[in-house]
Amino acid sequence: MKDAADTAVQDSQELQSRFIADNLRRIFLQIYRIVGNVDDAQDLTQEAFIKALQHQEQIRDAQKAAHWLSRIASNTAIDFLRRHARVSSCDIDSLAEPIAGPDEDSPEEMVLRTEHSEYLRDGLRLLTERERAALILRDVEGLPAEEVAARLRCSKATVRSHIANARIKFRRYLEGRRR
Amino acid sequence: MKHPRDEKLALFAGGDLGVLERWRVSRHLRCCDGCRAEVARFRRAAAVLSGEADRLPAGLKWERLAAEMTGNIRVGLAAGQCVPPVAAPRPELGWARPAALVAALTIVILGGWFLQGPRMLMPQRVVAGPVLEATPAGVEVKASRGALTLLNTRAASPAVYVSAPGSLRARFVDSETGQVTINNVYAE
Repeated sequence: MKDAADTAVQDSQELQSRFIADNLRRIFLQIYRIVGNVDDAQDLTQEAFIKALQHQEQIRDAQKAAHWLSRIASNTAIDFLRRHARVSSCDIDSLAEPIAGPDEDSPEEMVLRTEHSEYLRDGLRLLTERERAALILRDVEGLPAEEVAARLRCSKATVRSHIANARIKFRRYLEGRRR
Repeated sequence: MKHPRDEKLALFAGGDLGVLERWRVSRHLRCCDGCRAEVARFRRAAAVLSGEADRLPAGLKWERLAAEMTGNIRVGLAAGQCVPPVAAPRPELGWARPAALVAALTIVILGGWFLQGPRMLMPQRVVAGPVLEATPAGVEVKASRGALTLLNTRAASPAVYVSAPGSLRARFVDSETGQVTINNVYAE
């Protein structure tokens, strides 16, 4: 009887360990892109995993669990931004106007070549918190706009506005780096 | 030629426009190289972003951070197991409020009936000595074994008055002669 209980505990711990190992990097990056700094991302990643692992019955199916964990992670990050109500906005008009150039010499490719992810981080910092969250959820996580609106607790029209502004600012930032 | 605004092109690039707007923008793009190039730039920026999304921040020692986070998660879970779960607040029942209202109304109605209605439930007051009271016939003195009534057979129903010191006055009027008779009975 005791052996069976021990085996169940061991299985449960192995399941937890696998779940953490499989998802930790992805969830950390997802949160990091939204909140914009490593320390907060670390705390929020831990918080998201603890929330998820308190409902172990949900993690049996790896694929569903990964999706569910992403949802918890983005909600945790968005709640964090909402609690702290940080403002880091930038007017679209204050950004450098893009200079059109030939495709083979595009600024995006230059960024890729230099491999400086700080460029991206700085670009994302130009966005407001909500614009950044909307952009990450839509263009990186690939969620439909309706789902992004639900997670940000706002209307679809508002989310479309956030997404459009974020894309414009981010594109102008990338093109401005070229100068 | 009127060009779509940047916001529209940005949304078009990510497939976020409605059917009608998407059709309008794509029709414009067929004949506008400038806007087509703008859309291409938006798409390249999105590709850069999603391509970089998998890259860790520069200078971050991932192995160390991952080990630290894994340890903290385990500690957090263990701490959660030590603390009994907080009882979730009871769901608000739809029938609870009407039931409470009905119960309150019932109490009010029963209380009103009890206070204003027949006093059958009230304990009867037991009087040990003789009782002086007005009856339709006149004034009556009751004792434990019998009663004495002052009557006037030729008069109609008397008018009986009670005075403060404890006396009863019965006023009889003879229906034939009009003679008035007054009986005063004093209680001691």
